[in-house]
Amino acid sequence: MRPALSLHGVSKRYRIFQNGRDRLKETLSFGRKRYSHDFWALKDVSLEVEPGTTLGILGRNGAGKSTLLSIASGILPPSEGTVEVNGRLIALFALGAGFNSEFTGRENIMLNGLILGIERQEILDRFDDIAEFADIGEFIDQPIKTYSSGMRSKLGFAVAVNVKPDILILDETLAVGDAVYKQVALQKMYELRDSGTTILFVSHSTRTVEQFCNKAILLDKGRLLATGETGEVAERYQELVQEAQKKGSKRLGGRDPVDSLAHDGEAQALEKVTKSELQMAHPGDDGTGETKIRSVEVLDERLLPAKKVAPDSTVTVRVQLEYLEAVKDSEVVVTLRNKAGLEVFSASTARDGVPLKEMEKGERVTVDFAFKVPLHHGPYNVTAAARAGDEDTYLDVADAAAAFRITRPQDREPFEGIVHLPTEIRVHDAPEVERQGRSA
Amino acid sequence: MSTKTTSAKPGGPGAILGSLATFYERRWLIKYLAQRQVARSYQGSYLGLVWALLSPLLMVAMLTVIFSNVLGIRVREVTGDSALNFGLYLYCGLIPFLAYSQALNQGVNIIRRNSDLVQGVVFPLEILPLTTVLTSLIQNVFGVVAVSLVLAGLEQRFNWTIVLLPLVMVVQLVFTLGLAYLMAVAGTYIPDIRETLKAVVRATFFITPILWPTGRVPEQYSFLVDYNPLAALVEAYRDLILGGQLPDAWGMAYFSIVALVLFVVGFVVFNRAKHNFADLL
Repeated sequence: MRPALSLHGVSKRYRIFQNGRDRLKETLSFGRKRYSHDFWALKDVSLEVEPGTTLGILGRNGAGKSTLLSIASGILPPSEGTVEVNGRLIALFALGAGFNSEFTGRENIMLNGLILGIERQEILDRFDDIAEFADIGEFIDQPIKTYSSGMRSKLGFAVAVNVKPDILILDETLAVGDAVYKQVALQKMYELRDSGTTILFVSHSTRTVEQFCNKAILLDKGRLLATGETGEVAERYQELVQEAQKKGSKRLGGRDPVDSLAHDGEAQALEKVTKSELQMAHPGDDGTGETKIRSVEVLDERLLPAKKVAPDSTVTVRVQLEYLEAVKDSEVVVTLRNKAGLEVFSASTARDGVPLKEMEKGERVTVDFAFKVPLHHGPYNVTAAARAGDEDTYLDVADAAAAFRITRPQDREPFEGIVHLPTEIRVHDAPEVERQGRSA
Repeated sequence: MSTKTTSAKPGGPGAILGSLATFYERRWLIKYLAQRQVARSYQGSYLGLVWALLSPLLMVAMLTVIFSNVLGIRVREVTGDSALNFGLYLYCGLIPFLAYSQALNQGVNIIRRNSDLVQGVVFPLEILPLTTVLTSLIQNVFGVVAVSLVLAGLEQRFNWTIVLLPLVMVVQLVFTLGLAYLMAVAGTYIPDIRETLKAVVRATFFITPILWPTGRVPEQYSFLVDYNPLAALVEAYRDLILGGQLPDAWGMAYFSIVALVLFVVGFVVFNRAKHNFADLL
């Protein structure tokens, strides 16, 4: 099978000019004179991405991640090397590129789709999916100048992910939208991944990459430092960030007193950057890291991993944890969210009367949550968290770590609403109800 | 499944032919973008697209009142000596000139104005100047309709030669498009070109026989009419709309050759330069 994306010896050079006049002088000299110096944003990067891979791209600020994505998607030409793309590639950098604020949402879906290179007929065919996913209701027929910025990006995102891309390129650092929509977006990403879409994903957070991707690469100063399994690459990244922090603190410690005044601002900024990067790179970026959630799985009634389950059937969410430190008192919580990001249900070991024992360092434990799902059909996702006994300290959080779909009921009409509460219906004559009410 | 390769070297002849093919592949997009630009001009007004016809009519009326009635200038030899004499002569020359100046002045900005398309998505940039030129020609058509209405209504004349005008407009499209490509490249590399161009366009207005009749040009300045491609275009419009006669064959042949050369040069230059646009913005 041909790779979905391959890069051969790709480099990107930027010419740095002191000012605009130098640029003009160099252009007019037709290569006889140089007024610039070179900056290599990428240097000799070769990479093959097999179809269906979810590739995480890690690296510090300025490592060349965004340049790599821009070149892979064909927006920037490489200075050296070649890029080969097989299939429809959609890059989510500029959601809603070419949107016209005077046009309605409906017209802009068409315009944006055509700009992304999709056939007119295909956009018409997928129109309902796009409108449903964008979930902006009647606003679809209003000019988008009346939209909030969140609604605009929802619409752009809806077009981009509903036209069945073969390769999807996204930069998490540019993610927009409210918390609820982020859930929806994340869930759609899982769906696309599971349906075999090749995804290139830039993130600062090793946690997200480890959860979401099955391969990763590490960039540093424009060079490819590591390729391989997400775990190994993430470790290299953490080492890299820690090294950078050490260097940073050394510079702070051994500074010359005269210099210190002048460089104070710079040093502080550096410290700030490395600190926040370190936090993001650290596995406990959503928790203290004393515990690590190894996996979250959704199982059907036969206890087999499932992507689809029948309505009203019993679903088991299996959470596997590892305690990196000894923890005296802890609990595991799972939360089920529907496609609108609404918290439908949550269960906790402590609250539901199955307290966890005191854990040793290095101890592994598996917790199964089995529950019936009398819920409306559609996609759902599961967030798992490990909390300390005080309920305020999170040891680890795996946000939207697993997703599944409840199928449409076969034997009956789907009910309206979120949950199908067990209902008993009785019909009485009116006087009887009155009498009962009076006697009560 | 489609395969796309990008490499460090800018496209050769194959890439340029491929780029021509994108015009057909992306025809719906071109249509939408042109529509968007035409609609934008009249958006928010109560009469909407009616203005596209109404504003050239108002223009004809104004020119007529000033030049034919107030100043009493007569250049056309029309039986019955209509009051519309010079106004129509002037407006007929203005129609193709306005399309030309609009396409150029917008073309020079087009890459910078659409920076979200240049930097955000993979987009066939050669479409952008084409939509600008098409938009200007659509407005050009409304102008022609307005003139014909006035001519038919007030002079009770209708020249059948007008059916040949679309042929002239095809050559005009090629000519303007070539210039628009060149200007788009120049304006992206050198921002100062934008201001310079306004002056140049204004100058071409005066050296083209729009305000003045070709018959009154002194001998030593006749090259302004003979070698100015815009003069050939303007004359062709007048012959077909007002004169009811075929335009000068040599003039049209000269204009067509200039148009073709400009287009080929402009298109090739644009295709070689477009890879650098994202870096330049």
